[in-house]
Amino acid sequence: MNLNTELQKNNSFDAIVVGTGISGGWAAKELTEKGMKTLVLERGRMVKHLEYPTAAMDPWQFPNGDRPTQEDLKQQGVQNRTGYTVKQSSKHWFVNDLENPYNEVKRFDWMRGYHVGGRSITWGRQSYRLGDLDFEANLKDGVAIDWPVRYKEIAPWYDYVEKYIGVSGQNEGLYQLPDGKFLAPMELNCVERELKKSMMDKFGRMLTIGRTAHLTEKLEHSPQRGTCKFRDRCIRGCPYGGYFSSLSSTLWAAEKTGNITLRPNSIVYELIYDDTKGKATGVRIQDAETGEQTEFYAKVIFLCASTFGSTHIMLNSTSSRFPNGFGNDSGELGHNIMDHHLSVGANAEAPGFDDMYYSGRRANGVYVPRFQNIGKDKREYLRGFGYQGGASRQGWMSMVAEMAIGADLKQAIQTPGMWTIGLGGFGEFLPYHENKVYLDKEKKDKYGLPTLTFDVELKDNERKMRKDMSREAAEMLSAAGFTNVKEYDKEIGPGLGIHEMGTARMGRDPKTSVLNKFNQVHACKNVFVTDGSFMVSSACVNPSLTYMAFTARAVNYAMDEMKKGNL
Amino acid sequence: MNRREALQRAGLVLGYAVSAPVLAGVLKGCKAAPELTFKPDFFNPDQAAIVSEVAEIIIPKTDTPGAKDVGVPGFIDKLVKECYSKEDQDRFLAGLKEFDEGADDFMDLDHDKQVAYVKKVHDEALAAMKSGASKERPFILKMKELTLVGFFTSEPGATQVLQYEAVPGAYRGCVPLSEVGKTWAT
Repeated sequence: MNLNTELQKNNSFDAIVVGTGISGGWAAKELTEKGMKTLVLERGRMVKHLEYPTAAMDPWQFPNGDRPTQEDLKQQGVQNRTGYTVKQSSKHWFVNDLENPYNEVKRFDWMRGYHVGGRSITWGRQSYRLGDLDFEANLKDGVAIDWPVRYKEIAPWYDYVEKYIGVSGQNEGLYQLPDGKFLAPMELNCVERELKKSMMDKFGRMLTIGRTAHLTEKLEHSPQRGTCKFRDRCIRGCPYGGYFSSLSSTLWAAEKTGNITLRPNSIVYELIYDDTKGKATGVRIQDAETGEQTEFYAKVIFLCASTFGSTHIMLNSTSSRFPNGFGNDSGELGHNIMDHHLSVGANAEAPGFDDMYYSGRRANGVYVPRFQNIGKDKREYLRGFGYQGGASRQGWMSMVAEMAIGADLKQAIQTPGMWTIGLGGFGEFLPYHENKVYLDKEKKDKYGLPTLTFDVELKDNERKMRKDMSREAAEMLSAAGFTNVKEYDKEIGPGLGIHEMGTARMGRDPKTSVLNKFNQVHACKNVFVTDGSFMVSSACVNPSLTYMAFTARAVNYAMDEMKKGNL
Repeated sequence: MNRREALQRAGLVLGYAVSAPVLAGVLKGCKAAPELTFKPDFFNPDQAAIVSEVAEIIIPKTDTPGAKDVGVPGFIDKLVKECYSKEDQDRFLAGLKEFDEGADDFMDLDHDKQVAYVKKVHDEALAAMKSGASKERPFILKMKELTLVGFFTSEPGATQVLQYEAVPGAYRGCVPLSEVGKTWAT
């Protein structure tokens, strides 16, 4: 046996999964549970469940009241565009921007972390299904291309992933927001109940408790996970496994099978394409610590490196067969970037509930399902938006603007401040071919790899929608009797929804799409892409649950195809 | 060389350090300034003394600890040094100077006059902010913000003045305030 075949043997697996976030974790779980020896590659550092350095810390254990220092802002200035991630308690889950640069033709906010578990550690956990209102939208509106999937095909997979990850929520029987398999819902507070009643009475609109991937009941199949303890420190990682992450759930399941090999610090920079076989035979990686380059081989490859991560790999994988990027016969790879546009809505004060309060910190809010452009409702823009928000009583920070100081202040602060309530819109973002990302081969990162350049903007449809998003919120808050209602619309870069999607969309026609309806690359049957890049439209709901459902379905399909000898 | 520098140099030459309070006492005749409760890293001793006293006036020791007890002055010194941009630091120091000058030497006032002066400057600043006359948050309100952050993220502030549960275990959304008691620290 010569060295080459030895390497080939040691570095060969049944399957390779690139990425360990929401999608990668699901691919790893499904593949390993079906008996596939699976190599899971993660570009960032190793993290194991329970290795959350700040999770158990109290407020007084953080320097500077948990604020970022000037040095933090120098290292993570782009990541700090969220305003909530670069803190002493959570900054280690976000990249160093100096070491991980990208380029912006127009402002674009790319928020991410490189470590095992990816953004499944820091995600917002809101979990909603797309419905046929969404799957049929492009076809009906004549926008972009049609989704190759309808709700009834994906519904069983939504059932499957919801039951596994545990989603707390309330079924409401709405066409635009399909019901799910939910654990007990969390409670609304007094002011939210008031708004719910008013919205139904005066507008016939629904307000429901957020559907969130938290355990309000134990899951028998995941004994390692406990229920949510209402600490609201999710972004630090949960030592109870109270919310779903790859670490607490899917990677744990994959580990249990004995079929997973997890390799951190492994930057996949290229797919290996074999022209004679018409297949990808593996991937090339660069070790983030040693710089060493290695090849790994497998029968089937799942790209789950995040929308732009996977797109970077595909754009960088050129060959005589794919001169413009892997599987890019359509020319759509890197195009049609979508996010959800947000930071627009209204706030108000809610008088009349001074004798009521709450206990516990609910890491969840209220949800107002889309009501625009449904049935007889017609707007001057396409699609629509939902609201996320909630009510709370002001705490000590509000005292800055109160007259009291001294002993008076100490006394006054012990009574909670006024109730305030807010509704923030999450708007659908249409897929525009010209909203794109591409490689800059001149400008390289510290690994010598080309960097990404973003050219993305909101257009007329989104701007019209934003006006409606703040106006409708204000109208509903006023109608509920709340006071001092204020609309807001903060200019942000696209990307700040951290719901990037669309750069390798699925479709029926290989001429206009990169993937088929099973997330399989049209032009290379043994490569699947199941992160947000497959999305054909953005809908207005948080997308992670949809990535999970499509990933599980794609693995199931890949295994069937393998059995039939088609891969 | 002004008088202060001269005295400090004299101290160095003579081989002993003149502590800030002693120095302040020498400079002002007889009134003894309170000992600093921390060793400033960013502020000079005079600035640190003013920051300490103002913080303690905003949150004084009562039957529960005050700003000095929980280390708020040191907290502010570190935060302004590490978290403020150079521009914001300069603005803060300029505001402090203006505040001090407005009192014709704040540390020279007796305690009651210090409290009355802080209250006056504070109320005027709030009124100006609320009327929209002042856009930038003035020194006294920055001090108030920093004092509140330092105090209520401290263990005594969070657990003795307010209440704190590290692991609540449950969420109850609509409960009489009388059952909950007082404001949650977080």
